[in-house]
Amino acid sequence: MSFKNMTITPGWEKYMTKEYVDLVERGPYGKQKKVSEMGSFKEVLEEHPMCAGCAMTLFIRLTMVGLPNPEHTILIGTAGCGRLALTQTSIPFIYGNYGDTNAVASGLKRGLEVRFKDQAKDVVVMAGDGGLADIGFSAVMHSWFRKERFTTIMLDNEVYGNTGGQESGMTERGALLKMAPKGKLFDKMDMIGLAQTSGVAYIARLTPTNPTRVASVIRKAVMIAREVGPTFIQAYTSCNIEYAIPTPKVLDDARDIESKRYGFMEIISDEAKAYLESIDTSKKAKKQE
Amino acid sequence: MYLVAHIDQAICSETACRLCTQYCPEANTILYDNAAKTAFVAVDRCKGCEICVGICDDLAKHHAIKMIMITDLKDTFELSKEGFRPESWTGKHP
Repeated sequence: MSFKNMTITPGWEKYMTKEYVDLVERGPYGKQKKVSEMGSFKEVLEEHPMCAGCAMTLFIRLTMVGLPNPEHTILIGTAGCGRLALTQTSIPFIYGNYGDTNAVASGLKRGLEVRFKDQAKDVVVMAGDGGLADIGFSAVMHSWFRKERFTTIMLDNEVYGNTGGQESGMTERGALLKMAPKGKLFDKMDMIGLAQTSGVAYIARLTPTNPTRVASVIRKAVMIAREVGPTFIQAYTSCNIEYAIPTPKVLDDARDIESKRYGFMEIISDEAKAYLESIDTSKKAKKQE
Repeated sequence: MYLVAHIDQAICSETACRLCTQYCPEANTILYDNAAKTAFVAVDRCKGCEICVGICDDLAKHHAIKMIMITDLKDTFELSKEGFRPESWTGKHP
């Protein structure tokens, strides 16, 4: 699980799996890769069974590029589409029971802090709108109230895409779905507002229309979660099956929704802002050396 | 039979936009040959969603990517066969 704790004895690399060697020599293990280098480095995400043209997959792929230290990260997810790709990454994945993702993450992060005092271990929860806003709502809110230091990423496809198209708390009012034939009767939950109320250190809302921005937002959220407090990212990742979006139009739809009601938004606490600035200044100082 | 994305490398090598490599939902599917300065597709991973076609046509305006029937492609690059070896890519992709 850790690149720093486990280094292969010289001469024995050839006995390691091909993927591990690729990730160390041509991938992001031990060195940060940029979005602009995509296509020429080995990615932590492998082949996966998600639908063709899925915006959620694109977002997950970009997230994996944005992670500051994939070799020191643990992912936590739950039932839903996202886990189909998350389980195909070279990052340990814990399949939480529905509803307890953030409770598992809380315990895990605390345990890692005790076990690895000298290393930063990142815990990232990635689950759908149903897993976090409906079924896992209580655990999500309480982890924020307790100021647990990990990142929560909501893959908001505004539907239960994996089980046939039921409405979720995050579905827009009036949305017609297979299992909501009369249209949803209630408003979309304001998770951003709830995160703000519960004192989340860094909140972002975005769509996968700008790959560089996705990676930088993920990076900021994970870094802030290391030192300051809980962070929350809400990403629009449309379900092209349940919302009947032809795959070539998936990004047009994302751009359209982004301009209408899902514009990029970032809310940073003063403490988190100061922390980000301190990272920047120390980086600049290192460069000058 | 099914369609896969195919990149016209004569057009692609004239640009350096690399946008298709960033917008493809599949990991390590549209690869980039740094030496030949062109993107190319690992056909064994392409699911045929056409997102890259839209990106190349509308966003980059290079019109270098077309969907082609897999049986119409003579030489194809398959990542599962070649492995992830960027240093040996030049000359291996059609």
